[in-house]
Amino acid sequence: MIRIVWRPFQALAGNRPVLARRENVVPATQAVAFLLGIVVALILGVILLWTSGHSPAEVYERMFDSAFMGTDSLSRTLERATPLALTGLSVAVAGSMGLWNIGAEGQMMAGAIVATGVAMMADGLSGPLLIALMMVSGIVGGMVLMLGPALARSHLRVSEIITTLMLVYVAIRVVEWLETGPWKDPESFGFAVIEPVPEQAALPGLFGRANIGVLIALGLLLVFWLAVSRTAWGYELRLAGSSPDTARYAGVSLRRKVLTALLLSGGIAGLAGAVQLTGSAVRLESGLSNGYGFAGIIVAALALMRPSGVAVVAFVFGAVQVGGQSIQTLGVSSAISDILQAMILFGALVAVVFFNYRVRWTGPGGGSSSADPAEPDPVEPDPVEPGPVEPDPVEPDPVEGAA
Amino acid sequence: MSEEALIGLFVATVQFGTLVFLAALGELIAERAGVLNLGVEGMMAMGAVSGFMVGLETGSPWAAFFAAAAVGALVGGLHALVSVVLGADQVVSGLALTIGGLGLAAYVGRNVVGERPETLFTDLGIAGLADIPWIGEIFFDQPPVVYLTVLLGIAGWFVLARTRLGLAIRAAGESAPTTDTAGHSVMALRSGAVMVGGACAGAAGSFLSLYMAPGWVEGMVAGRGWIAVALVIFGAWRPGRLALGALLFGFTLALQPRLQSFDIELLGVEVNRISPALLGILPFVLTVVVLVIISWRYRHRPSPAPAALGLPYRREER
Repeated sequence: MIRIVWRPFQALAGNRPVLARRENVVPATQAVAFLLGIVVALILGVILLWTSGHSPAEVYERMFDSAFMGTDSLSRTLERATPLALTGLSVAVAGSMGLWNIGAEGQMMAGAIVATGVAMMADGLSGPLLIALMMVSGIVGGMVLMLGPALARSHLRVSEIITTLMLVYVAIRVVEWLETGPWKDPESFGFAVIEPVPEQAALPGLFGRANIGVLIALGLLLVFWLAVSRTAWGYELRLAGSSPDTARYAGVSLRRKVLTALLLSGGIAGLAGAVQLTGSAVRLESGLSNGYGFAGIIVAALALMRPSGVAVVAFVFGAVQVGGQSIQTLGVSSAISDILQAMILFGALVAVVFFNYRVRWTGPGGGSSSADPAEPDPVEPDPVEPGPVEPDPVEPDPVEGAA
Repeated sequence: MSEEALIGLFVATVQFGTLVFLAALGELIAERAGVLNLGVEGMMAMGAVSGFMVGLETGSPWAAFFAAAAVGALVGGLHALVSVVLGADQVVSGLALTIGGLGLAAYVGRNVVGERPETLFTDLGIAGLADIPWIGEIFFDQPPVVYLTVLLGIAGWFVLARTRLGLAIRAAGESAPTTDTAGHSVMALRSGAVMVGGACAGAAGSFLSLYMAPGWVEGMVAGRGWIAVALVIFGAWRPGRLALGALLFGFTLALQPRLQSFDIELLGVEVNRISPALLGILPFVLTVVVLVIISWRYRHRPSPAPAALGLPYRREER
């Protein structure tokens, strides 16, 4: 007697792609993933530009030229890379402990607010002194905005992801309030703007539009690279992030580590605000942070929270942003640079998965020909055996203790 | 404060509540399946812009609403692909979704800024009930999306709490290996939940651009997507408490632009003299305060979060 068993999903279930861990992990690094991410983003960008009636070649050429060709272009790229490196480092410091500071955008603002306030009070100081004071007050401002989320995280385990982000909106609104009210420039002819920072507070330039903010960022990256990878403090920080229990047994105070990491993270983002204020911006305004804090998250994620990587990614992202600005003259929206940045991250994420895994097609015979004999697929249904091998998708077994 | 202003406040409370509830309901479903999606803000922006553009093109708010839901599901599908199917970090993928989604929405909508569709959702006066003083105007004379969202909330609760599918979804969020052993595809359950979540966020975005603030401007979602993410924590991953939280946040969101016009004194300060920018921080400060209070209450108890929330699952590695 022939029994016909109709199982519509048999073919699909027996012959599907499975991600199998590679026996020999592809010896590629995050750098390669980053490059692949760039390639993926550029390809998707071509599609996007094409469908909206632009010439991808022309747009990309303009972007490349404006970001890299000539000292002026390079200085613009460095100018944008500076805040990106600082916010990237800010996110990375928290990230090296497994924490997410996604409010660097707001801490930048807080830093710029306090730095502006200090500059207003200490107007008479000489340049270098005033700049140093503003940098310190920027750090303080960032830390103050981070204090709440940091304490809530360290003592009550409140997700720092949401609290830090919420305070971004608070910081930006406070700047808007200062613009319209208390700090409104009396000489602004009715415009709601804050008076420019004193002239002597402008960061000294390096070349073109680049200023010594670049050196501040590089120096800080170096310091943190040394601190995180070469000191006991940094080791404890990483340990507390990767294995909290081990860290606790080793006598590390997790609370204190969480608090330090987050406050440092906030301080660095605040410094980014002060650098931006004295380096590129003329005055404190609600657009000062300009998305640098959010882009810093992508920078740090692509850099795997490592300071060296932050420097490289920040430079590339600086170029992408300068390029994004330049193509507005071609009638292309600068939003394209945000899209490219996010797509680079997606591309790199996917690339990393395929470095460690390969797609294995499981054949209908239970496992594929290339299946590792030491690792048989445990739940592969055997189609030869009659009866309900495959669980019925309509009436699944209840799972005990799930709720 | 006039009676009219007060009714207006509560009408807006229900509408803002609907907006954040719809997005938060989607996030709740995804998180119950074990997937944290921090891309709600981006998905809402994509829903807002695509809904608005379809509304402009077709003149039908419903076509726009469902198109926005489809776009939201598609964008959520990207998160599902990267973080569920490929098992990449959910936080990173979600944040990239928000940043990329906001960028893409700005790019796609660059030509429709400032336009107004001819037909928007109109208020649905329910015969008989809408004429009841106060209650009628607040609850029975709202746009249809409000009622649809209430139905979706009930449906979401029913499916999660009372059906086998819901049990499987919750199981995937508590222990993926157990769910897999029981014969369910964790990948399908989680991807499906994330896409449903994306559809809800996208639909919520179109409610914003087709009713609450007709039109499209960059940054119009303005943090409501993040409030939705926080609401899920507030609601302890339960649809009922989520609805309560949505009304609370809806009230704050509705109150903030109206405080200006209220002639009242609070702690010796005349409210209408406070800068609107300062009042704008209200919902965000409230979110932080509420999260702290919730965590304080749970400080000695296990978190109500799904146990496997945020953990990728690969069958080969269990």
